[in-house]
Amino acid sequence: MDYGIEQRDQEAAVRLRGRLTFNDHAKLRALIGEMKQNKAKRQVLDLSSLEFVDSAGIGMLLIAREEMVAATKELVLRGAVGQVKRVLTVAQIGKIVTIED
Amino acid sequence: MSFDGATPHLTPAATPAADDPKGTVTVSSDLLSTWMGFADVQRRTLGVVQTELARTSQHVEDATLDLSARFRILAEKAMEQSERVAQIVAVAGTVRIDDEQVPLDQLVVGMQDMITDMVSNIVTLSRHAMSMVYLLDDVQKDVVELEKSIGDIDVINRQTNFLALNATIEASRAGEAGRTFAVVAQEVRHLSHSTGDLAKRMRSKITAVVKGVRNGHEILRQIANTDMSPQMLAKERVDKTMDSLVEQTTHFQSVLETAASVSADMSSTIARVITGMQFQDLTKQRIEGINDSLAIMSAGLDELEGQIRAEVPSSIGAREPQEWLNSLLNRFTLSEMRGRFVRKLLLEGTALDENGVLDVDVSHSDSAGGDIELF
Repeated sequence: MDYGIEQRDQEAAVRLRGRLTFNDHAKLRALIGEMKQNKAKRQVLDLSSLEFVDSAGIGMLLIAREEMVAATKELVLRGAVGQVKRVLTVAQIGKIVTIED
Repeated sequence: MSFDGATPHLTPAATPAADDPKGTVTVSSDLLSTWMGFADVQRRTLGVVQTELARTSQHVEDATLDLSARFRILAEKAMEQSERVAQIVAVAGTVRIDDEQVPLDQLVVGMQDMITDMVSNIVTLSRHAMSMVYLLDDVQKDVVELEKSIGDIDVINRQTNFLALNATIEASRAGEAGRTFAVVAQEVRHLSHSTGDLAKRMRSKITAVVKGVRNGHEILRQIANTDMSPQMLAKERVDKTMDSLVEQTTHFQSVLETAASVSADMSSTIARVITGMQFQDLTKQRIEGINDSLAIMSAGLDELEGQIRAEVPSSIGAREPQEWLNSLLNRFTLSEMRGRFVRKLLLEGTALDENGVLDVDVSHSDSAGGDIELF
C-alpha cells in the first residue's frame, strides 16, 4: 500500500492505493501521525484506489478513527469499491465511522 | 297408430252396412285376419317395449349407483388429500429444533444476528490486536533504550572503578596522611563492583524481558496477520442463502395452500355430482309410470283380441303383417335389443318357448351384422 496526501480548504484527503494489510501497519501509523499534525479538521481517507483490505486493515482504520477523535478531528472513509466496500458493509463500519460514496 | 314413413296398407274389403238393426256390421274375413295379425304383433311389441323400458331403468339405476359409489370414494380421497396438504402447509414454514417448532423467518433472523455478532467480534478483535501490536512496537523501542541505559551504567561504573583505583594509588603515595583516604577509595571500588554486579543482573533480566516481548510481538503479528476478511464476507453468502431459503419456503407454502384449496373444491364439486345423480330416481318413477300405462293398454288389447277371436270362426286365422313388422324391426338398431325382440315375436307361445329358450339371456349374442330371416 502507498498513499498521497492532498490538502484542500477544510479537509485533508489521503488517497490509499493497492492493498491495505497487516504488513502496512508501520506505514499506517506514520500516516496517522501525519493526519494528527495536519490542521484540517476533516480527514478523508479516499479508498477508491484501494483494491483489498484485510481484517488487520479494518482494525487499523478503527485505530485511525480513535486517534482522530482524540485529536478532535473527524475521519471520513470515502469511495470504497469492490472487496473493500463489501468488507466495510459486512463489518458495519458505517455505524462507527462516517462513510461516503 | 302411425309409424314414420312406413304405414302398412290396410285395404278395407267391405263397407259397413249402416242399416243393420242389431248394430252389427259386415267385415270381410281378410280385414279381420289382418287386424288379428296386427293385434298379436302389437301385444307382443308392447310386451317387448315394457321389458326394454324396465331393463333400461334397471341399467340406469345400476350405473348410477356404481357411479355414485365411485364418486363417493373420489370425494373421500380428495378430502384426505386436502388434509394431508394442510398438514404439510402447517409445518412447511417451520423447523424443529430441540422439540420446538421454530418459524423459519425467526430462525433466519436469529442466525443472521449470530453472524453479525461474530463479524463484529472479529472487527473488535482486529482492532485490539492492532492496538497491541502498536503498544508492543513502542515497548520494543523502550527496551532497546533500556539496554542502552545499562550499557551507559557500565561505562560510568568502569570510570568510577578507574577513578577509585587512581585514588588508592594517590593515597598510598601520600603515606600516613592518605590512609583514611585509601579506605574511602577502597569503599568506592567495592561500590563500583556492586554496581557492576547489579548492572549485570539487570542486563540478564532485561534480556529475558526483551526475549519475552519479542516472542509475544511475533505471536501477536501472526494473530493480527491472519486475515479474517473472507470469514467476514461469508456473511454475504449466508444472508443470500437464508433469504433464498425463506423465499423458496414461502413459495412452496403458497403452492401448497393452492393445492389444498383445489382439493377442497374438488371434494365439494364431487359432492354436488353425487347429489345430481338423484335424477335417476325421478327417471325410474317416470319409466314405471309409462310402463304401467303400457300394461293397461296391453291388457285392453288382449281382452279385445280375445273377444273378437271368440266371435270369429276358427277358419279365419291371424295374418302376420309382414311389411309392418319389417318397419318395426328397423327401429331396433341395437343388435342386442333387436335379438330380444325377434325372439319374443318368433318364439313366444311355441314349443321352444316352453323349453325355456326365451329365458336365455341374449345380451351377448352376436347378431349385429347378421341377416335375420323372419318369415
